[in-house]
Amino acid sequence: MSGIDNMGSVRPDLIEKVTGRAEYVTDLTVPGMLHGFVVRSPAVHARIVSIDSSVARSMDGVVDVLIGEDVASFGNWGVVLKDRPIIATDRVRYVGEPVAVVIAGTIEIAENAAELVDVEYEDLPRATTIQEALAEEAPLIHEHHENLEDFYFRGGARPTENSNIFHTYRSCVGDVDAAEAAAAFIHEDHFTFPAISHFAMEPHAVIADFRGDSLTVWAGAQTPSAVQKVLSRLFGLRLARVRVIVPFVGGGFGGKASVKIEPLVAAASWKVQRPVRVAQSIAESMLTCRRLGADITIRTAVDAEGRIIANSAKLLLDGGAYSDTGSAVATKSANRIMGPYVVPNVRLEACAVYTNTVPGAAFRSIGGPQAVWAKESHMDNVAAAIGMDPAEFRLLNLASRGERIRPDLRALDMDMSELMGRVTQSFASEVKASDRQERGLAVAATDPANTPISNAIVRLKIDGSILVSVSSIEVGQGAHATMGRIAAQTLKQPISAVTVLRTDTSVAPYDWGTGASRSTVVVGLSVESAALDAADQILEMVADVWELPRENLLFVEGGVSTGSEVLTFHQIFHRSLGVDSGEVIGRGAITPRSKKGALAESPLFWETSAGLAEIVVDEDTGEIHVPRYASAADVGRVINRVAAEGQDEGAAIMGLGHALYEVLEFEDGQPINATPIDYSIPRISDVPPVFDTILVENGDGPGPGGAKGMGEGAILPVAPAIANALFSTYGIRITDLPMTPEKVWRALQKRN
Amino acid sequence: MLPSPFEFERPSTITDAVRAFGDSGDGMFYSGGTELLLAMKLRVIHTDRLIDIKSILGLDRIALTDANDIEIGARCTHNKIARDPVIRQYVPALSSLCANVANIRVRSVGTIGGNLCFGEPHADPPTMLAALDARLVLQGASGTRLVHVDDFIKSELETVREPDELLTVIVFPRPTGPVTYRRFKHGERPSVNVAMVWSMDAAASTITSARVRVGALGSRPQPLKGVEDALRGLSVAEVRPAIEAVLPTALDELEVNEDRHGAADYKRHLARVLLLRNADEAIAAGWSA
Repeated sequence: MSGIDNMGSVRPDLIEKVTGRAEYVTDLTVPGMLHGFVVRSPAVHARIVSIDSSVARSMDGVVDVLIGEDVASFGNWGVVLKDRPIIATDRVRYVGEPVAVVIAGTIEIAENAAELVDVEYEDLPRATTIQEALAEEAPLIHEHHENLEDFYFRGGARPTENSNIFHTYRSCVGDVDAAEAAAAFIHEDHFTFPAISHFAMEPHAVIADFRGDSLTVWAGAQTPSAVQKVLSRLFGLRLARVRVIVPFVGGGFGGKASVKIEPLVAAASWKVQRPVRVAQSIAESMLTCRRLGADITIRTAVDAEGRIIANSAKLLLDGGAYSDTGSAVATKSANRIMGPYVVPNVRLEACAVYTNTVPGAAFRSIGGPQAVWAKESHMDNVAAAIGMDPAEFRLLNLASRGERIRPDLRALDMDMSELMGRVTQSFASEVKASDRQERGLAVAATDPANTPISNAIVRLKIDGSILVSVSSIEVGQGAHATMGRIAAQTLKQPISAVTVLRTDTSVAPYDWGTGASRSTVVVGLSVESAALDAADQILEMVADVWELPRENLLFVEGGVSTGSEVLTFHQIFHRSLGVDSGEVIGRGAITPRSKKGALAESPLFWETSAGLAEIVVDEDTGEIHVPRYASAADVGRVINRVAAEGQDEGAAIMGLGHALYEVLEFEDGQPINATPIDYSIPRISDVPPVFDTILVENGDGPGPGGAKGMGEGAILPVAPAIANALFSTYGIRITDLPMTPEKVWRALQKRN
Repeated sequence: MLPSPFEFERPSTITDAVRAFGDSGDGMFYSGGTELLLAMKLRVIHTDRLIDIKSILGLDRIALTDANDIEIGARCTHNKIARDPVIRQYVPALSSLCANVANIRVRSVGTIGGNLCFGEPHADPPTMLAALDARLVLQGASGTRLVHVDDFIKSELETVREPDELLTVIVFPRPTGPVTYRRFKHGERPSVNVAMVWSMDAAASTITSARVRVGALGSRPQPLKGVEDALRGLSVAEVRPAIEAVLPTALDELEVNEDRHGAADYKRHLARVLLLRNADEAIAAGWSA
């Protein structure tokens, strides 16, 4: 029995993956499928003078070539601003923008023919950085801004006409000017943060099959409902006729959220009226989207005791050539720069700016790493300036549990001093690795999961087996296993009885999407509610048919206990329905009105983390080593420990990449390291040898069993924690990422 | 990310390989493919014909000859060299270099000959082999010639090898003193590397000659003549001050490219750090004849 339980506790998706059976988009073949290869712009910002695809078209095996004028009549699409053509028509705005898709019988023919598509460009003035885009004479990257209110996120963008600013968010509390006038000390810092590639193992891959008035898309999409909606609007198709199927996805990190290459591939299929597959390389995906770079000014005013009395920040975000979800990234960056602190006077402004570079997009904890990098580095600077220990300075200013960081956001639902204590304790309890005090600390509190909209279906079969149907995608994080576990626990059945269906919008009910650490809480609640609905229907049958009081009935493994006996599901269905068949279908829906409106307030929960880093610097070369790191997060309740720890560790190591290695570099708009050879991410040998993951469980989250979402928070403290260790131990302050050996060496030279 | 179409041949002798080349005129020799196939997939290199040399026997031999030369077949993978007993015994620094080239995939299939012929400036082996005074045996239709590694790499991604010449063997004298190698890298390839080879006299007390090469800074490994001259005739105890005295001038004479791996002053500084660390290691090694 325990053997079966143990097998059942292994995530089914992991078994499929290690046996090579797991199917990703590129493992699929659709009858009649053709292959598309994308011709990309080599120009930073240019007018397309002409496209000659005749030679490519005449190649053996080439079926057709899609270009902008074929689909210009469909107009633009977007999820916040409608600023994006299906494929460049008259103009390209960044290097890598699709200008043609060669469609052929094989991928080889398509790629060979792609070299023969002749595009003539005429360069336009460019704006490749935030500063260039905001300059007075800056060329406009988009002439008009068309806002889509409440389309994907609640609200929309606030663009500035006749400028490259496509969104501005402001939030003011109290009177910063008055507080600063009365302050004992004011300190201001400036930080920058680079563009960073999502670098998922699986690049973007999509198959689209357009048939008359219906469209089926297989995509590694994090938000299938958004893909469905955008394709429906763009091509004028009924939502029910647009089917999005998401097989296993090899990493998303936000790079597959909202909508990416699906409209392009759908258009290719529309053109040839056959299924078309486009499977990008990693290098192409590096030209598809990336994290928004940032330029951040932050100022803090403190009183004589070291209490923060005012905080102001201005964040400029480099949104690239198309807005995608950059406006939300900007808004979140402003929210997330507040940190877990109580500050009576706050003035925040965040702007997202178009530049002639790869479009910015959501990326693990949107806006968080940019904001927390600045905030937590700044906190140590302020502490040093007023002669306080940085941990004490934080403790003095932390919001306590139940206290509000800002009046319009949910009260803090955790105890940050506990997380700080736990990471410090982790270092103390470690067998003394060294005497070094080369340590830096950083903390973060972010506002995820702001869309409490989800549905689930849980079907209980006559033999006690259970089918769970949700729109959450399985992107490696274990969401499907989590949903299965929630259904099993709610129905008191073994995990092995549950099957979670692959994501398919024609089967699975609506959900907002997989991201923002929301699935365990929001989708989990809808699964729990669907399971309870199924249970209710069973209990109803038993109470009715056996004429027993409902309150005596209990779900047990394999059936229902009446108190005196256990009725199997078989017996229940058979006697109730008269035949030995049937199932009950439980439906669960979560909306902002659910739980008496308890889910309506934003954020649903605070995603929090603390990180403590120990570093050793080779002062001759500037290289930073991180021998030890502790990461703590308040996750409410752990549902699957291995998966939860894996999420936390993965996020922290991704944060290590941001801290030390990663930057998607542009030189005057030209990407210069957008290949997996030239772009460096951390390897297993870069992981700190001593790495402690602490998951605090108080069962106080809004999700099933008191769970909160997780998996994004741990990315946040890493870079500032390392930078703070550099500051306190080596006396240097790095203000832009990544902290490369050369930067560290130069700072050490300057210090000497 | 697929190469353009090409023909493929797999000859079993050097003569056939060279002849196969002669037939097409636009072929390329291929073994591990860790650089070449990548470049072909990126379509920065086009070739009509790949001539696979993996079936040619004897190209992956490693031996110490009667003349006290060490011979390494050009088709030896990095892993093979790293694990070879002859290399481990006589040139442990080369063994460890090969054990740390690039990544495990490259080490398993990538070859030392391919590495040299590609002429990538940010590479480990050329610097070391230049310091070891290695000669390369090139075999072509018109005969065989011997080229010093120093003369082999002309510039970035360019060597003196004729397209139809096959690099078959790498030969260098068995070291008679400490051999040291260090690199600095922050990413896939080394930003700077330094190899130093001392020849000691019979009593193992005096450096009779030294070869120092700095790689990855310019288009090919460069000698540090000033340091080499200063070391000649010194006892081990005199090494460090002697190097420090001439190093600034010697470093200034280096050609240094500013690129993604760093600015010139930083890379010169790294060369200094690596060289001094090599010297300390060589001193500590306590060579015995």
